Amino acid sequence: MTQLIQNLVDSLGLGGTYALLALGISLIFGVMHLVNFAHGELITVGAYTAYFLFSTVGGSWWWMPVAIIASCVLASVLTERIAFRWVRTANPFTMLLTSFALERLSHALWQIGVSPKAKAFPKVSWAFDTYQFGDVRIEKMDLVTIFVTALALVVTALVFKRTLFGIAVRGAAEDFDAARLMGVKANRVILGAFAYAGLLAGVAAVLILMRTPSAKPDMGSAWLLAAVIAAVIGGMGSFTGAVAGGVALGMLQTFLQSYLPEGTLSYLNDAFVFGVIAVFFVIRPQGLFDVTHAERV
Amino acid sequence: MNRSVTLRIGRSLATSAALLAVIGVLAVIYTSTGGASRHSLVDEMLVNLMLVAGMQIFVGNTGVLSFGHLAFAQIAGYSAAIAALPLASKAKVLPGLPFGLGDVHLGALGAVIAAVVVALVVGAVVGVVVARAHGLAPTMITLAVLVVVEQVVKNWKELTRGAGGLSGVPVVHGSGWLYVAAFVALLVACLFHESRIGRFAVATREDELAAPALGIRLFSARYSAWVVSIAVVGLGGAMLVLSLGSVNPKQFTLDRSILVIAMLVLGGMRTVTGAAVGTVLITAGNELFRQLGDRWKIERFSDLFLGGVLLAVMLLRPGGLLGDRDLLGYLRRRFRAPDRPAPPVPERSAALVAADIVVNFGGFRALDDAGIRVRPGEVVGLIGPNGAGKTTLFNVVTGLVDETSGSVHLGDQDLSDAMPYQVARAGLARTFQNLRLFKNLTVRENVELTSLVAWRHRTGSLPVNELLADAGLTAVADRAAGTLDYGNQRRLELARAAALSPAYLLLDEPTSGMSDAESQAMVEQVRAVAAKVGAGVLVIDHDLGFITRISDHMVVLAEGRILAEGTPAEVRANPAVAEAYLGSQA
Repeated sequence: MTQLIQNLVDSLGLGGTYALLALGISLIFGVMHLVNFAHGELITVGAYTAYFLFSTVGGSWWWMPVAIIASCVLASVLTERIAFRWVRTANPFTMLLTSFALERLSHALWQIGVSPKAKAFPKVSWAFDTYQFGDVRIEKMDLVTIFVTALALVVTALVFKRTLFGIAVRGAAEDFDAARLMGVKANRVILGAFAYAGLLAGVAAVLILMRTPSAKPDMGSAWLLAAVIAAVIGGMGSFTGAVAGGVALGMLQTFLQSYLPEGTLSYLNDAFVFGVIAVFFVIRPQGLFDVTHAERV
Repeated sequence: MNRSVTLRIGRSLATSAALLAVIGVLAVIYTSTGGASRHSLVDEMLVNLMLVAGMQIFVGNTGVLSFGHLAFAQIAGYSAAIAALPLASKAKVLPGLPFGLGDVHLGALGAVIAAVVVALVVGAVVGVVVARAHGLAPTMITLAVLVVVEQVVKNWKELTRGAGGLSGVPVVHGSGWLYVAAFVALLVACLFHESRIGRFAVATREDELAAPALGIRLFSARYSAWVVSIAVVGLGGAMLVLSLGSVNPKQFTLDRSILVIAMLVLGGMRTVTGAAVGTVLITAGNELFRQLGDRWKIERFSDLFLGGVLLAVMLLRPGGLLGDRDLLGYLRRRFRAPDRPAPPVPERSAALVAADIVVNFGGFRALDDAGIRVRPGEVVGLIGPNGAGKTTLFNVVTGLVDETSGSVHLGDQDLSDAMPYQVARAGLARTFQNLRLFKNLTVRENVELTSLVAWRHRTGSLPVNELLADAGLTAVADRAAGTLDYGNQRRLELARAAALSPAYLLLDEPTSGMSDAESQAMVEQVRAVAAKVGAGVLVIDHDLGFITRISDHMVVLAEGRILAEGTPAEVRANPAVAEAYLGSQA
């Protein structure tokens, strides 16, 4: 029982971070059918921003989250203006490779501009303090992660239900042509989607960096892979799906790690996770939440 | 062996020999001016050429992106290494080798063959899954496969010795064998591209819906491409290991997958020529930037090159530097087998009958007990206001939409549950309301493709030249279909459908967007083509003038039900029709 609760807390923390990233990927896919493999690079941007601020002007974790989030939003918007805007009407293959190219470029720029090695910056002193609830020990950071994620998801849900921007984005995700005919401005909606995806990635980056305060050129890739898979598991373009997919993936990873027998098998955790994912796509290629796109024949 | 097969092989041999000759000359010039490291760069490029050619077969022809091909190169690489390791060293580094592999020792050729076979066996299983999936799923599955294989290799230490890899594999010296293997890889890629199933794969890339509607089975086209490409990639993996004498998981990472993909798309993934050009350019550019990086003391400078080139190509020329310009394609246009003579038009007696069709989309009843009957040689017009269910009825007949209840028959043949490709092979050829041509293919190739289906799965087809001439498209035969004007695109879609030698032509708004004069000409063309292939016609249109001129019999659909039917004159006189379709004129 204790173990179960511990695992649940762990998987919610991990899965929540995946969900924030997956939501951004799904959001962008919704408005322009791009699977953005450069999305994970936003975390790297946030990390180097923190590193530079800490090492130049000095900094404090009191305001650093704002700087990290701002840098992520800015970087996300920039990728749209510099690259994705020009391939918006291209096929998904071209868009996907464009995002891959940006991912490579980002790696290369940090490697060349800073260093291929990890750069550490000050940590959050209380992050790993624990609370004891009976037999269950919960790190402060776990609680912060779960709370912040939940808050971000609630705010996102409100934004998409209540604001004009959110409704425009959802409309565009369903049928962009129809949305445009209703007066939705394509440029503004897409740029807004990138900004919002950047915001969510920024929140994820803050949560990640508070745990592991260091910057490395390829740090975004592993998160990106998990987030893309979470988004696809949920059903690309489905916002509920992205959250469900993120949490499901977090649980799968945490529980497999905890329950697989000791020995060789536990080293194969990744193989199991991806094996399960492959089987999932065989059974439900459209993801958990089916998003049907109106295609007239 | 018939003329067209001889020509295919000849064109493929010529193309692969020419490409490799150019690469060989460049390599000789390059190596004659420098040291041994230049030889190893050439070897690396030849191995990459095999990997890229293998990827081209699947990714280039089907348009489905795969990250997982290197997993099979890895499987083949390890297989080759284990097979070729001398028994003594094998006993030392891999004492617990399972499956009795500890006693196996093969020469280089044997090891390569064994490696390709192992990769093929695993690939054949994975391919079933990949070829069945749609949309993003196949790409995601290949990504998962890459990670799973990497993890298994890293952790199955009895078999692979883990992350450190295996060394001491007997090296095949000299680039000669690599040239031979690269030639084989290019030749297989060319032959596949030229083969019927290769053409079918290209059709599925160009339009995932139109290809099945013309009798092409998505699964078999993709699966064949996958299996052949795995074999070639396996060859590349095995040769990589045998040329270096060692193997480890770092040779087959996602990063290298992306490098190979960049090579594939830079020159143009749709052609083998493009794949070869891209391989040379990326290898050269990578090396140049690596050396500049060394000189300027910048680590991993070449990554900047890779990202920059990939981004520039995607933004500026997404089809690659060469696009569809291709040696193989040039030879195909230059040396063409003469058209086979048309078979006699068969006597057709089977009527096309859709009866009691009900279709529900969620709570909306799109078709409510609708039906239609077309007799051989007859032209039936289907009209009705927007949303009446005309296209839905077409989609039910051609297998794109499953009916909730009802039946579709062609003579005695029950097509109610048939897949689109089966419907097409049974003899129903359709066009689409919003034009679904194979845009990157030439006008001739569009028609040729269907003609290939007809010769394979039906009784044969009219000569392609004749179909093009009848449609007035001879002058533009070698242009990409996507560059034609609207009227010509409509005429091409009709010619493409006619090439199937269908029993029935199903035309969805063939005159939409056409001028009166053009639509008048369309009446003549439809009638002429239908008479020539002996087909009945079921045609949807909004243009009442067009439909009354062309039809022997008319059916009016409104709100999912049959409102009226009869001769054009009868239907025009029907007051209910006037009210529903034209608005009350009273």
